[in-house]
Amino acid sequence: MDDFISLEHIVKVYPPSVLAVDDVSVGFRRGEIHSIVGENGAGKSTLMKLLYGLVPYDSGVVKIDGAPMHFRKPGDAIAMGIGMVHQEIELIPQYTVWENVVLGAEPVRGPGGVLDTKRAIELVRRKIEEFQFHLDPSAQVERISVAARQKVEILKLLYRNVSVLILDEPTAVLTPQEIPQLFAELKRLREAGTTILFISHRLDEVLELSDRITVMRKGKKIATVAASETNKEALAQMMVGRQVIFTSKRTPHRRGDRVFEAKNLCVTRRDGLKLLDDVSFSVHAGEIVGIAGVEGNGQFELVNSIMGLTAPNSGSIAVNGREICGLSILERRKLISFVPQDRAKMGASLAASILDNAIMTHHRLEPRFAAWRGLVLNYRNARAFTDSLVQRFSVQTTSSQSPFRSLSGGNQQKLILGRELLLSTPFFLMDQPTRGLDVGSIEYVHGEILAMREADRAVLLISADLEELFLIADRILVMHRGQIVADLATERTSIEEVGRYMLEGKKTA
Amino acid sequence: MTRKILSGVLGVVIAFLVGALIMLLEGYEPLATYGALAQFSLGGIGPFATTLKNSVPLVLTGLSAAIAFASGPVNLGQPGQLVFGALAATLGGLYFSLPPALEIPLLLLLAIAGGALWSALAGLLRQAFGMSEFIVTLMLNMIADFFTAWAIAYPFMDRKAFSPMTPPIAQSGWMPDIGPLSSSVLLMFAAVAAMWFVVQRWRAGYEWRITGQNSLFARLGGCDVRGNFMAVMLVTGALAGLAGGLVVMAGPHRFIKGLGANYAWDGIMIAIMANNGLLETLIYGVFVAAIQTGALGMELITNVPSEIAQVLQAILVLVIVATREYAAVAFDRLAARRQARRRAP
Repeated sequence: MDDFISLEHIVKVYPPSVLAVDDVSVGFRRGEIHSIVGENGAGKSTLMKLLYGLVPYDSGVVKIDGAPMHFRKPGDAIAMGIGMVHQEIELIPQYTVWENVVLGAEPVRGPGGVLDTKRAIELVRRKIEEFQFHLDPSAQVERISVAARQKVEILKLLYRNVSVLILDEPTAVLTPQEIPQLFAELKRLREAGTTILFISHRLDEVLELSDRITVMRKGKKIATVAASETNKEALAQMMVGRQVIFTSKRTPHRRGDRVFEAKNLCVTRRDGLKLLDDVSFSVHAGEIVGIAGVEGNGQFELVNSIMGLTAPNSGSIAVNGREICGLSILERRKLISFVPQDRAKMGASLAASILDNAIMTHHRLEPRFAAWRGLVLNYRNARAFTDSLVQRFSVQTTSSQSPFRSLSGGNQQKLILGRELLLSTPFFLMDQPTRGLDVGSIEYVHGEILAMREADRAVLLISADLEELFLIADRILVMHRGQIVADLATERTSIEEVGRYMLEGKKTA
Repeated sequence: MTRKILSGVLGVVIAFLVGALIMLLEGYEPLATYGALAQFSLGGIGPFATTLKNSVPLVLTGLSAAIAFASGPVNLGQPGQLVFGALAATLGGLYFSLPPALEIPLLLLLAIAGGALWSALAGLLRQAFGMSEFIVTLMLNMIADFFTAWAIAYPFMDRKAFSPMTPPIAQSGWMPDIGPLSSSVLLMFAAVAAMWFVVQRWRAGYEWRITGQNSLFARLGGCDVRGNFMAVMLVTGALAGLAGGLVVMAGPHRFIKGLGANYAWDGIMIAIMANNGLLETLIYGVFVAAIQTGALGMELITNVPSEIAQVLQAILVLVIVATREYAAVAFDRLAARRQARRRAP
C-alpha cells in the first residue's frame, strides 16, 4: 500500500542547538489512524507542526501522493487538505459554535461581501449532521463543555474540507468519561475516509484507537508498528530505550516523630469562599505523605500558607514543634525545603548562571558563603559547592557559569532538587516535582524522594499524578474544595477509591 | 563575550553609516564631518580629557539607571536626583569654607545625600502605599526641576547676575585638575569599580541581580526583597546625586539655571544601550560624550550644525539595541543551521 503522505529525512534544529527532529522518515496511509507516541520532548509535536507548515524545517522532503510539497504557513497545508488541532483550544469563547466554525472562511453574499448568516448556520448544521457530532450550532462556546469545544475545533477543519486531521494530545483535556466518545467519533471519521494523525503518550489509548503506531525517542523515529502486533510493555520500552518498571520500589520503613503539623488551617477569599477549610494533618519523620486532588482544590493556598506567601485567616502550622505562621520566609527556610510546581516562576532564575541558582538560600544560611561579616559572598566556596552539587546530582552541564536556561528540563529539576536537599531541613515540601519531566528524570526524582524518607526526613508531596502517589507515598490525603476529605494508607486503598474522593469529595458506594 | 563585542561594534558601524546617509541627503560631507568629530573629541590629550570630563554625569546617571533596571526598581528619577544633588553640593559650598581636604568630601557627601533623599522619597511612597516608583520618580523630576529653579531665583540667587544662578561656591570645593584631566574623572572610574564590586561580589548585589530577574524566586529563596528595594533606590539616587555634585564642582562652580540639561536622560539611554551592564555603561557613556564633545568643535570648522550629534545619538540607541536583539537571534539560527547540516544524510 502506497503512502499518501511521506516525510523523508526531516531534520529540525530549534535555535540555537536543540535537535528536535533528527533525520526522521515516516509514511502515512490514506484513511488510517496513525499514532505518534513518545516522551515529552521526543519531537512528536514538532514533527506534526512541520507537516502543518507551522514550524520551518532545516532539511528533508514532504511528499503528498508522491509530489514534493513545501508548506510555508498552515494556510498552505489546509489548502492541501491537512488540518491540525492543537493541545490548547483556540476558540473565541463569546462567539457561537457556528461563528467559530466559519470564522476566516465565511460564506458571503452580494457585492459588499455581507455575511450570509442563514447559509453559514445551514452549512455548519449539515457538517454536524454528516459527522453526527451532536452540537448545537447556535450555542455559545463558553457555555459548552471542553469535549464539545474540541469537537468545534475538529468541525472547523472539516468545514474547510480537510481530509487529514492532526490531533495533538486531544485526550489531555478530557475527563475519562469523555474519551470513549471522542474515539467513537474519530473512528467514524476514519470510515468516512479521513486520515487521522494522533499524538499521545498514553499507551493504552493509542493501542485501543490506532491502526499503526510510530514511536519517537529523542528526535529519532524508533519504529512504526501495527497496533495489533504490539503491546504496552513493548511500546514503553521503545519510548524510553530500556525496560520500565510499573511497580513501587518502596520498602517498609519505620516512621519517626511528628515533624510537620497543620491545625485547623483556614484561608478565606474576600467574597467569603473558603479556599482552605479547616485543614489539619501531620507528617512524621521518615514518611512521605501525598496530597491528591484535582488542581484548584486548595493545594495552591496550602503551599502558599506553608511558604509564607499567604497569611492564613486562622489555624496554625508547626515544624518540629515551632510555630511558623508569622515567621519571615528566611526563618521558614531554615526548617523547610521547597521544590515548587513551576520551575521558571518560583524555582529558579532562567537568566542567571547555574551557580547563582545553586546557591540561593544557602547564601543566607551557610557561614562558608559569607566573608566580611556577610557583606561579601565567598565565590570560591560557592563555586566549589556548585561543582559538588552538579556532580552529586549528575546535572549535565559544561560549566557552572552557563545560564540556567541552557539546561534541559530534567537537569534543571535535578539542580533545584539538589539545592533544596542540601539545605538539610527536617521538612520537605514538593509541589508536582515531576511535572513535565521525561521518564528517566522522573525515576531519578522518585529515587531521591525515597532516599529522603530513608534519611528520616518528612516529605509532603503534592501531585496531580495518582500513579506517582501510589508509587512512593505512604499515606494519601485527598483535597476537595479546600477540605481534606480522606486520609488513606496507600496499601489499603486503590486508584479508583482515591479518584472517587477527588471527584465527589466523599465516599459513594 | 565575543558575540557581545561583535554586535556592539556592528551596531556602531551601522549607526555611523545611517548617519552618513542622512548627512549626504542634507548635502554635507560625512567623512569630513566624522573626521572633525573625532579630532575634537579624541584627537590628542586635551580633547580626550574634555571628553572624559563631559562623560562623568552621563556615566554616573547611566550607572544609576543600569543598576536600578537590573535589580527591579524602575527608577527614572535620575534627572531630579541629579539636580537635588547639585543643589545640596552648591548650598554646602556657599555656607562652608573649609580646607579642600575637608570641603571636597563634605560637598560630595552632601550631593550623595541630596540624590539619595530624593529617591528615598519615591521608595518610601512605594513601601507605604504601594505607589509605582515608575510614575512617582517621573513626577518627582518635575518637582525637583521647579524647586531648584525657585531656589536659585529667590533665596539663593546671585544678585549681581543677570540670569537665575547662585553665587559661586567656596574655591576650596572646586574639583582640582590634574594636568589636563579633571579629578572628577577619577571619581567616576572609582564609582564604576565600586559598583561593579557591589553588584558582582556583595551578597546584597547577588540578591539585587536575582530579584531583578525573578523576584518571586528571590523572595521564596529567603532574600530580603523589601530591604533590597529600598537599598537599590538609595544607591541609585546617590549615584545620580553624585553626578549633580560633580557637575557643579568641576564645572561652573555654581548652580546655573538649566544645569541638569539632558545629562540624566542621556544616562538612561546609555543604560539601555548598555543592556544594563556596568562596564558597557562606562564604554557607551564615554562614547556618547565623545560625540557630544566633538560636535561642538566640528561646528567651528564645518558648516554642519552641532544638532547632528543628537541625530547621531538617537540613531545609535535604536541601531545598537536592534542589532543586539537581532544578532542574538541570527547567531542562534546560524548555529541551528550548522547543526542541521551535520545531521542531514
